[in-house]
Amino acid sequence: MSDIMVTIDGIKYKAREGESILKIARRNGVFIPAICYLTDCSPTLACRLCLVEIDGKRAYSCNAKAKEGMSVISSNEEIEVERKAIMEVYDINHPLECGVCDQSGECELQNYTLEMQRDEQSFSIADTSRPSHDWGFIHYDSSLCIVCERCVTVCKDMIGDSALKTVPRGGAVLDKSWKDTAPKDTYAMWNKLQKSLIGLASGGDTLECTNCGECTAVCPVGALVGSDFQYTSNAWELTKIPAANPHSSDCSLMYYDIKHTSIKDHKDKIYRVSNDFHFSTLHGGARYGYDFANEIDKKDEKAFKKAVKFFKEEADSIKFNSFITNEEAYILQKLKEKFGYKLVNDDAFAYKKFLQNYRQVSGKSLYSSNLRDVKDSNFVVSVGSFIKSDSPNTGYAINNAMTMNKGAGLYFHPIADPVVDGYSKNLMSISHQAGVEESILYLLLDLFGDKEAMPKSVVDYLASFHKTVKKTITEVVKEQVKEMVKDEESGEEKEVVKTVSKNVEKEIEVDVNSLYGVVGLPDDFDSKLTKFLAKKDKFSLIVGEDLYNHKRAENLAKLVGLIERFTDFNTLIIPTSTNTLGVSLICDLDESVGKKVIGYNEKADFALSALGKGDLDMPALNQQEGTFTAMDKRVVPTNVALQFNGYCLNDIANELGLDAENTIDYTPELGNIDGFKNEEFDDLPNEFENSGFENRGYLLEEKNLTCKDEIQEIKEVTFGDGDLVYLANPVMQFSAFTNKAHQLNEAGALYVSSDFLEKRGLKDGGMILLSNGDAKLAIALKLDMQIKGDIPYLPTFDSKLDVLPFFKDGYRFAKVEMKGVEK
Amino acid sequence: MIETALIVETVVKAIIALAVIAGMAGFATFIERKVLAFMQRRLGPMHVGPYGLLQLAADGIKLFTKEDIIPQNVVKPIFMIAPVIAAASAFVAIAAVPYFPEFTVFGYTIHPIISDINVGLLFIMGAASVGMYAPLLAGLSSHNKWSLLGGARAVIQLLSFEVVSGLSILGPVMMIGSLSLINMNDYQIGGVANWLIWKQPLAFVLFAIAGFAETNRTPFDLIEFEAEIVSGYATEYSGMRWGLFFIGEYANMITISVLVSIIFLGGYNDIWIIPGAIAMLIKVSLWIFLFLWVRAAWPHVRPDQLMWVCWKVLMPLALINVLITGIVLV
Amino acid sequence: MELRGFKNRNVSPGYIFFEGEPKPLTSWEQFKRFLSRAVKGELFVGLWIVLREMIRFDIHTLQYPMEKLKMGPRYRAIHKLLRLFDSGSERCIGCGLCEKICISNCIKMDTKVDEKSRKLVTQYSINFGRCIFCGYCAEVCPELAIVHGSSYEHASEQRASFGLKEDMLTPLDKFKANKQKEFPGFGALSKDADKFVKKTPLAY
Repeated sequence: MSDIMVTIDGIKYKAREGESILKIARRNGVFIPAICYLTDCSPTLACRLCLVEIDGKRAYSCNAKAKEGMSVISSNEEIEVERKAIMEVYDINHPLECGVCDQSGECELQNYTLEMQRDEQSFSIADTSRPSHDWGFIHYDSSLCIVCERCVTVCKDMIGDSALKTVPRGGAVLDKSWKDTAPKDTYAMWNKLQKSLIGLASGGDTLECTNCGECTAVCPVGALVGSDFQYTSNAWELTKIPAANPHSSDCSLMYYDIKHTSIKDHKDKIYRVSNDFHFSTLHGGARYGYDFANEIDKKDEKAFKKAVKFFKEEADSIKFNSFITNEEAYILQKLKEKFGYKLVNDDAFAYKKFLQNYRQVSGKSLYSSNLRDVKDSNFVVSVGSFIKSDSPNTGYAINNAMTMNKGAGLYFHPIADPVVDGYSKNLMSISHQAGVEESILYLLLDLFGDKEAMPKSVVDYLASFHKTVKKTITEVVKEQVKEMVKDEESGEEKEVVKTVSKNVEKEIEVDVNSLYGVVGLPDDFDSKLTKFLAKKDKFSLIVGEDLYNHKRAENLAKLVGLIERFTDFNTLIIPTSTNTLGVSLICDLDESVGKKVIGYNEKADFALSALGKGDLDMPALNQQEGTFTAMDKRVVPTNVALQFNGYCLNDIANELGLDAENTIDYTPELGNIDGFKNEEFDDLPNEFENSGFENRGYLLEEKNLTCKDEIQEIKEVTFGDGDLVYLANPVMQFSAFTNKAHQLNEAGALYVSSDFLEKRGLKDGGMILLSNGDAKLAIALKLDMQIKGDIPYLPTFDSKLDVLPFFKDGYRFAKVEMKGVEK
Repeated sequence: MIETALIVETVVKAIIALAVIAGMAGFATFIERKVLAFMQRRLGPMHVGPYGLLQLAADGIKLFTKEDIIPQNVVKPIFMIAPVIAAASAFVAIAAVPYFPEFTVFGYTIHPIISDINVGLLFIMGAASVGMYAPLLAGLSSHNKWSLLGGARAVIQLLSFEVVSGLSILGPVMMIGSLSLINMNDYQIGGVANWLIWKQPLAFVLFAIAGFAETNRTPFDLIEFEAEIVSGYATEYSGMRWGLFFIGEYANMITISVLVSIIFLGGYNDIWIIPGAIAMLIKVSLWIFLFLWVRAAWPHVRPDQLMWVCWKVLMPLALINVLITGIVLV
Repeated sequence: MELRGFKNRNVSPGYIFFEGEPKPLTSWEQFKRFLSRAVKGELFVGLWIVLREMIRFDIHTLQYPMEKLKMGPRYRAIHKLLRLFDSGSERCIGCGLCEKICISNCIKMDTKVDEKSRKLVTQYSINFGRCIFCGYCAEVCPELAIVHGSSYEHASEQRASFGLKEDMLTPLDKFKANKQKEFPGFGALSKDADKFVKKTPLAY
């Protein structure tokens, strides 16, 4: 990956060897048209518009890899003819319904047809009846589809669902006479186009995927649109408000597209969420869970006075969660410093402790990896994260690493996940027992650790797991046997060498690692791993939420620190929810609440709530400006999409003696905290550059610290026999906020696999009684096709369900008794 | 007894003259609208009454019932009295004007003049000139720049035409040897050939021009010219106060028409078979028509042009006329 | 191309340039001008012309409430939404081009998907307080759905009058009585429109 020089249209540009020409051109502002290519995805070669001439030969720039001294011509007469013909072919039988099409105005077919100045048609073919399909969140109008396969590509290469594929069109066969009249590439592209359409990989009528909706974002025409958005607004009427994903810690760049509600109601409304799909990917929660704004008519002065009074006279602690901005967290911290409130935030507290322990051992103030690094790596290990639900974007990064870098990986989680299995053949899913995470980390240290550098105690401890066992195996031995063969015709004798296989029994000494058994690795793990590790140079370790509240969390964090220090792995410790990382860095958190509690989006004696059910209404995250600290260790800004008419936390803080006109006046003050910078909110950029450079907010500063090696040995965490239940949200749900959105509103249930139902003879939709200790809950069952195994999960997004009593010690696994209720 | 009869007769005559002239003034506004409309290929008022005849009544009702607005910051007493001056002076001037030949009703000889004073002409000219105070005072008191400009223009106009009208009338007066209008009328007895216009053509023209200026009619309507100074001195006026200015203007028009008819055009003497009274009505009507006709056809002059014409052209001409008249008489 | 024709934009054949008569410099010249103007009788020409018109009595007044002017097809008054002649359904497809092109930003529309999964315009409004009747909306409309009417009487009791879909759309009873006329004015197809159509080959 060394730097080379490539000449495009006579100008020399710096590039990395092996990069695609299209990428170099785009980075440097050289225009090469392309419809089917998606950044970070494999080239489809469907559109052939990116045709260029490289050293006198035609090539497709999305696919052509840069070499030293290459000379590229982006356009000449021949290429122009080809491109124009391709555009005409795309326009054949394309319905002239731009007037009603949702994509009109941002349609790449419109744009390129105009760009190529096509105003007449020279090709024709009989049209085929192409019906439209309703695929739940997504509407597919196949008559508009130009089969660029971007949706298929993004679904496979980026999202990992592989839910879409091309299916036969069943249309007219291309007349051979066109072969003579149409340009070469045009004919080839047309031939392919005429044979296919987009369909579901499952073959049925329902889309079985994680509903990220990324296919609707990448669709260059109006073929794939969100069902809810369909025909509600023209693209050009919408104002794009740049923001960050408020539901999960990836905080991806996204845009709220707003417009007045209707002719009668001039208040702004969010019509959809869009994204820069070349550079940032959104999951379903972000794409469909946008209308969670807290709409109130006016300021409730009475409630505000009550709130201020409660703050001043009664409250001694504030309970909140991580769905707040950095600025709000900073205000809370200031209030704590001034009035001595206890600040309680369970997920950030656990995460903070975990990070502190990690810091002690690794010697780094923050984890070393980010999503970009994961995408660029080629061996990924994930431990303790229910990745599809917890942090879909990390899942996308893993999938991208698998598909684009021919990567391999290991996914450790007690709940088997077919979606993750579908990422790649080379991603080994290991459904281990709950509670053995310590063993997994020790195993990683054993497999990848630099034994010479590691502390001796650790090396010795690791060695204690190894045993040499004598084993009899059957080995295939190949022997060469010389034979004399008489040629029948000529009668000459020849010596022929033959290879003969023989089975030989042999006794060998095998090194057995007892950790394999604890973790539950398959028998052929060693050989598979060797295969996986071939030609791998970039390693990523993803650590998830299961570990932070683990009974052995402290030791786990230290082990992660050790892995960071003594292996090639770069670690990514996924923040639990949107701003967990920010809160854990900004706030000085306490373990438990006092007598009188103020809750911010939490149930408490006095509740400030953006969900609209509390004692004082607060703005939701799409009604606030401020910053989040994203998983990428980046402070990213988010903006106001909808007006909030009530009071915000800053108003209360001002009443209590702080002084700031706006909440964002605290943005530069964040600079007082280690890692943050003194930057005005309005100076923070929020965009991706053409090259894909992420010019958003700023990166946290990282420090190197002195490290300590205080590692404990494995202490088994077991649950004994009985049923376990896991604490997780289904795909697309992250909190009560996503559930408030009209497209995602649903009632919480116990999500179970089909194995679970079969084993117990229960039915989807039936009821079950859960109990452990004091907690009891009768809850509906909901079949989740995207999990396997015997462990069901309980969600937190439904505020009507109080599931936390089941998980008293905070750990995500709890033992429960289940009793099916027959109806 | 005679005294009482004279008082009664005078009062009756005054009331009749006031009513008739005021009515005619109102009617003249209707005629003006119609004539201007016809000359501009329009129809003019059509909807109130037959051919819009009752438009006059409608306007009157409107003017009388409108709120009497006195703006802030105006000099209230002067602002209020100015329109009264306009109307009063116009009607006072009428007192010395004879309209018809004397006639007998039930054996009682009636002189159709309110008061035959021997300096009648002088009186009329004086009273009419007092009328010029109305725009001046209105302009000064209105607290409005357009009004002020209108008032200023009124003064320069007065200064300009008064000299001309005075000097131009001097010739006929020298020939007749009397300032009484009845004497002037009697001087021209005996048919069209005896009309003073033939003996004093220049004086006639000069007096006519001065008459246009005195009544503020086009082309000398510069004291209330809309395109330049909105409505001049009358900008702040509305309702009946504005109506008084209006009546004054039309009464003045009638007075001037009568004056010209009597001094130059043979007065109320019979013309062949046409009785004097009818002849007088015809002449006055024609003159009023001329006022309207001119308004329809001609543009207005600038204040400086008015002064230039009056002082540098008309006044010398009037002087020459007086000189020649003197020489001829001697 | 030469720019002369553009720079000297006042010149076109048929223009007569009149410099005006020379200004009088001395008072004698001024007096001469006064005399020549007075004697020439230009003033009397004016008098004659208006008198002539009065005598001819060629009146052009239109007595408005009783008589009304018939507006030309290109007159741009309050808008109308037309229906399709074949089916009677609304022509408007909700493409939003009028909304986009409107320079006074006074057109708004609400759309949604209907049961037949077509785009349905649920409400359409023009704010006539802002509309400048430029006619761009009618010109840009691909369906000739929004057109200008000829009703120039715009007095109403409410601001919102005329401006909603139900006010502008041809009522069904009127439509059934064949009262809807095709719009020939601003934005309608020109007579030679066919000449500009480029034919698309068909494979049938």
